[in-house]
Amino acid sequence: MTEPIVSVRDFSLTIGSKNIVKKLNFDVLPGEVFAFLGANGSGKTSTIRSLLGIYQATTGTLHVNGAPLTPENAATVGYLPEERGLYTRSKVLDTMIYFGELKGMSRDDARDFSLAFLKRVELEDKAAVKIKKLSGGQQQKIQLGVAIMGDPKLLILDEPTKGLDPVNRKLLLDIVDELQQKGTAVIYITHLMEEVERLANRLLILKDGQARAYGTVGAVKKEFKSESIEDIFVQIYKEKSSEVAHEPADEPSNKEDK
Amino acid sequence: MSKLRSVIRHEYLTIVKQPSFWIVMIAIPAIIALIGVLTILGNKGSSDRIQEISKDIKNVAIIDKSGLINTEVVKAADLTLSSPAETDALRTQVREGKKEALIIYPENLSKDRNYKLYLSSDDLTKMGAISSLSDNILKTSLFLPLGSPEVIALAQNGAAADMTFYKDGRESAGFNEYVVPGLFVVLFYIIFAFSIGYMLTSVSEEKENRSMEMVLTYVQPRTLILGKLLAVMLVTLTQVAFFGLLGTLALVIAPHIGMPVSLPFGIDITKLVFDPTSIVLGFAFLFTGFLMYAGFMTATAAIAPSTKEANSFSGVFFIGAFIPFYFIYMIATNPENPIVTFLTYFPLTSPVVSLIRNAVGNFNGAEAWLALAVMFGFMVISIWVAIRAFKLGALEFSQVLKISSLFKK
Repeated sequence: MTEPIVSVRDFSLTIGSKNIVKKLNFDVLPGEVFAFLGANGSGKTSTIRSLLGIYQATTGTLHVNGAPLTPENAATVGYLPEERGLYTRSKVLDTMIYFGELKGMSRDDARDFSLAFLKRVELEDKAAVKIKKLSGGQQQKIQLGVAIMGDPKLLILDEPTKGLDPVNRKLLLDIVDELQQKGTAVIYITHLMEEVERLANRLLILKDGQARAYGTVGAVKKEFKSESIEDIFVQIYKEKSSEVAHEPADEPSNKEDK
Repeated sequence: MSKLRSVIRHEYLTIVKQPSFWIVMIAIPAIIALIGVLTILGNKGSSDRIQEISKDIKNVAIIDKSGLINTEVVKAADLTLSSPAETDALRTQVREGKKEALIIYPENLSKDRNYKLYLSSDDLTKMGAISSLSDNILKTSLFLPLGSPEVIALAQNGAAADMTFYKDGRESAGFNEYVVPGLFVVLFYIIFAFSIGYMLTSVSEEKENRSMEMVLTYVQPRTLILGKLLAVMLVTLTQVAFFGLLGTLALVIAPHIGMPVSLPFGIDITKLVFDPTSIVLGFAFLFTGFLMYAGFMTATAAIAPSTKEANSFSGVFFIGAFIPFYFIYMIATNPENPIVTFLTYFPLTSPVVSLIRNAVGNFNGAEAWLALAVMFGFMVISIWVAIRAFKLGALEFSQVLKISSLFKK
């Protein structure tokens, strides 16, 4: 059986008097796109921050490659947070190289990657331009570039297509496809269910900090007797919050199992 | 270590690559020099004009009830003394503009040291000219019995004292002893004015532009804070080197273009004293005070949700750094005063007070090292609070972090 790259066990998070996440369990496998879904305030971002070691779990464990993630071993993780931004006063190439260095790359490698990425996303002429001079969509491309630097084995994308036009949205999804083909596991957070239908192998729907649906896309659809993830999402959020947390609907499987 | 180096390089270059950094660095000494030149030229121009007007003032009446005014002096100014009986009539003429001014030296002038001037208008230049005229007539009349012009000039302007100081039975350099440790006070304010704010903006902007979450995934908060602190120190060194270079160039070039440099308070560069203990203490107070303030600024930026609010909160630290100036005479002359003792150990005032006391030499050895130890303790606390606040507040984008949460487990 394939070892999960991400393993979350009995994870709970309490901040102040608020229970953000309650007894959450899930795995993410290498090479899969794992859709991590939930309404605003359901605990998705807090879970990701805990997985990255920014927040400390109240109970339970969150492991990446068999160990808790810290800045020292986060080099193989790419993260595009929901609350994202860049150093607006710095130049594009300088910013990318800086993040590459923080991810453990050499300056030369970070520069080579950055120039290649800028060419790929048709921003090579912006390398020496300050970030604040770029449009919102162009800044988002740079942020994606920063996230995928250093050949990540795990890529966490929190609403990556928010604010992108259709052309750049397709470009981003193509890049995610390519990374997946190379074996990168992707945790994909979105409110756009058509993206889930197109990309995801497995999913987890979080409500009030608890898993309400978890498994392969096909198995979840089968369990909820629906052909639409969006309908399942709406159905879950219409349920009363007191219902019990969800166990996996099926064993993890490949994309073809959808 | 390489991440720390990357943070330092990034933070340093972000600051020094900004055109505004160099514009401010060049503009400040340029503005100070311009103000100095304009002040000298302006004062000279005003003084010359007053002198010119003084010469042309002929329509002025003088009444002497004191008996101290010399008639020859009044005559030399092409004026005459009027009778005290004419006082009311002359005052009316001034009011109606028929006379420019009336000067009355009263009977009890020597006791009250006060005389009266009536002017036909509120023109400031004319007021200056007539004041100068009346003052000159009085002083020259009083000094005339002294005899020679040299003695009169000596009585009027005094003489410079060539001072010799003794300390512990040996000749000392006097004020020149204060200059080198005093430079640390100046340096502190340069750092405070230019660099401390960078810590505030560096953290609050990172928070405001939402880049913090990506950074914290790959860097420990303490590495990030340390990197920022060291970068700001490098920025400070850059500024000090730049201003030092400008100062040296000014000292070297000025005499060659006919502008001899005269330092204030009789400071003589050749007589400066380089006392190792006061230099080491000055450096220690400066370094520790800088880190303590930088810690407070970082904590403030981490606690506040935006740059605007962080700037508002930081005002208290700026006030703290300037409070010692209200007590500077007391700090320099009365170190045993309880207020001075309090200001020496209170964290927000301790760097400046300690640096001033170190400069004027009224810190005895044990007290200086105790003050340094206390300041070091506050520095450790401020950096601990900064790192703690940073960990908790870095991702709080919409609300102020509660102070109580800093001390919870």
